[in-house]
Amino acid sequence: MTEKHLSSQFDSELTSICSKLMEMGGLLEIQIQNAIQALAQFSIPLADEVIQTEDRVDMMEVAIDHALTSIIARRQPAARDLRLLLAISKITTNLERAGDEANKIARRVKSIVESASARKMPIGDLRLASGMAITLIRRALDAFARLDLDTAVSILKEDDLIDQEFKGFTRKLITYMMEDPRTIGDSLNLLFLAKAIERIGDHAKNIAEFIIYIVKGTDVRHSSLTHIESVVQ
Amino acid sequence: MYSMLFRLTVLFLLMGAGAGFASLFKHTIPSVALGVALGSGLWLVWDTWRFLRFLDWLRRLHETPDAPPRLSGLWREAAQRVSRLLRKQARLTRESEARLENLQAGLQASPNGVIVLDEHTHIEWCNQMACRHFGLDARRDIAQSVTHLLRDPAFVAHLAARDFEQAVIMTSPVSSEAHPLRLSVRLCPYGQGRLLLISQDITVFEQAEAMQRDFVANVSHEIRTPLTVLAGFVETMQTLALSEDEHREYLDRMAQQAGHMRRLVDDLLMLSRLEGSPPPGLEDWTPIAVVLAQIEADARALSALTTGASAPQRLVFPAAAALPQAGEIAGAATELQSALSNLVNNAIRYTPPGGDIEIRWEAQPDGTACFSVRDSGPGIAPEHLPRLTERFYRVDSAFSRATGGTGLGLSIVKHVLQRHEATLTVDSAPGQGACFMVTFPAYRVRGEIAAGGAGM
Ligand SMILES: Nc1ncnc2c1ncn2[C@@H]1O[C@H](COP(=O)(O)OP(=O)(O)OP(=O)(O)O)[C@@H](O)[C@H]1O
Ligand SMILES: [Mg+2]
Repeated sequence: MTEKHLSSQFDSELTSICSKLMEMGGLLEIQIQNAIQALAQFSIPLADEVIQTEDRVDMMEVAIDHALTSIIARRQPAARDLRLLLAISKITTNLERAGDEANKIARRVKSIVESASARKMPIGDLRLASGMAITLIRRALDAFARLDLDTAVSILKEDDLIDQEFKGFTRKLITYMMEDPRTIGDSLNLLFLAKAIERIGDHAKNIAEFIIYIVKGTDVRHSSLTHIESVVQ
Repeated sequence: MYSMLFRLTVLFLLMGAGAGFASLFKHTIPSVALGVALGSGLWLVWDTWRFLRFLDWLRRLHETPDAPPRLSGLWREAAQRVSRLLRKQARLTRESEARLENLQAGLQASPNGVIVLDEHTHIEWCNQMACRHFGLDARRDIAQSVTHLLRDPAFVAHLAARDFEQAVIMTSPVSSEAHPLRLSVRLCPYGQGRLLLISQDITVFEQAEAMQRDFVANVSHEIRTPLTVLAGFVETMQTLALSEDEHREYLDRMAQQAGHMRRLVDDLLMLSRLEGSPPPGLEDWTPIAVVLAQIEADARALSALTTGASAPQRLVFPAAAALPQAGEIAGAATELQSALSNLVNNAIRYTPPGGDIEIRWEAQPDGTACFSVRDSGPGIAPEHLPRLTERFYRVDSAFSRATGGTGLGLSIVKHVLQRHEATLTVDSAPGQGACFMVTFPAYRVRGEIAAGGAGM
């Protein structure tokens, strides 16, 4: 086999891994959407669907991991290709974790639906943050498909908004708990929900960082935004 | 033919000239032969020079498409033919480019999203509508694998199964709560393994379908409730021997249920009339004073009926003295009357005894006029506000039904106002009372209307 032939086969293996990753991403987007819709509509069937589909997300992660290990062992890729493969591995992990959060939301929804008092809590206030989390994940996956640095950077910026929402919501729950200690149980439930949504935002942010790593070769985790912007310039 | 003759002539002439030139010196055969050779040599040089000019033009043709060089004879014809061929080629290319552009413009104009996929399902071209449906970028996303951007598992499975029979229904990736977007996506195979993806916006269609479904379910439910009660009384009266008083009480209750059903049917008929008839024109002007006076009379009667004398509601209407200057509204008087009094009736019914209700009619600085009803009742939580005008929507259905409500009042109001190009805004929060405001466009009001105070 000629050199060229070899590398084009490598390329097609790489493309197939990317496609698998995007497929996992697509499934995950639906999982998050369904979990959040289950919360908004107090829908047990939808929550159950999320919980059942969780296995498929996990299986996809395993499949991608296998493919990655095999391609690295056989091809011993260098530099840029290796960087891409490593980043894909990290992104897969982040997607799987975001899937766990969706699963957690679905489980909490089930316990909330069953309690009459929990339904009276300010669940509507989570709508904004959850909408943002869905959008962030979608945009992170789009940015990966397009290797789009601009979007990646703007995701890093926007994740702060979710964090702010989360803090505001926490403060509100604390006032609820102080006014009426009977709401503590329900408030904690909501707090977990809010935390799960916030984490989904964090995973989107991590994915955005790996996109910058793929394109620029710089690890921008734990760096300030201004530093990241200077890297991307 | 001519140029061939010309070439031969020139050749012989040159050869003859060479021979003649040689014969000037000595009359020997070899010198004549030399002269002929010299002549043909000269000809060769000249011809080669012309050939080189021709070749040079050909070589430079793709950069600078000049006219062919001035040549004579066969070379000229060759140059002209080449140049004509090229011109024709260029015209054909231009034409087919124009055709392609027309085709693309046609696909752009399509109300559907169109994506052309190559045999590896990579995006080859997409129209503006497809960009809007899927959040694509018509330039950057070319050559991108379509499933990398359209990741909905239902679509991915559909594509993998190469299901060309059915459409797949999916939520657009750019759909949001504020702007929901549902799509029906079809794949059509063509050429060799290539696909055309066509997407259609079915949001409105789905909403209409859901609304119709809900409506039928709601109407049946609303009619069944009083009907069940009515049937229950009939059965009781048939099977039990009742005293005179019981008899009367049962009949009263039955009349009440029948009345409720009649109101329901009346409201439904009113709604379908509103939907079916053309909107009221701008010719019929109604003095607002008449409408307001009628509303006030009805309101006071209703309030007295519902709250009793111990803690009456305080009703504030525009002062009677101001009414002659209230101006006029263009529209259907009976519709407006019923819509506006519906709002006032709601305020009276949902505000507890002793509460305040204030009705205003004022001109706004921008020329529009505003009718408003403010009450001190329980108010309405924000999640209910956008749904109030839906048919049969009630915040607290048990209470509303107990007070004789059908849940159609505000949908009638909305319809009437839409027909008058007026808008309804509700300003309310739980515990803060409610304020329903109707704003009429400037061209539907005339006359001296008192301007709005600072409170508005
Ligand atoms: N002024 C108000 N204060 C509080 N709630 C209100 C007010 N006006 C309307 N609502 C709420 O909006 C709902 C819809 O009102 P709508 O007028 O459409 O129906 P209804 O009053 O129940 O019946 P009807 O068809 O007899 O008017 C009501 O059930 C009530 O819960
Ligand atoms: Mg009403």
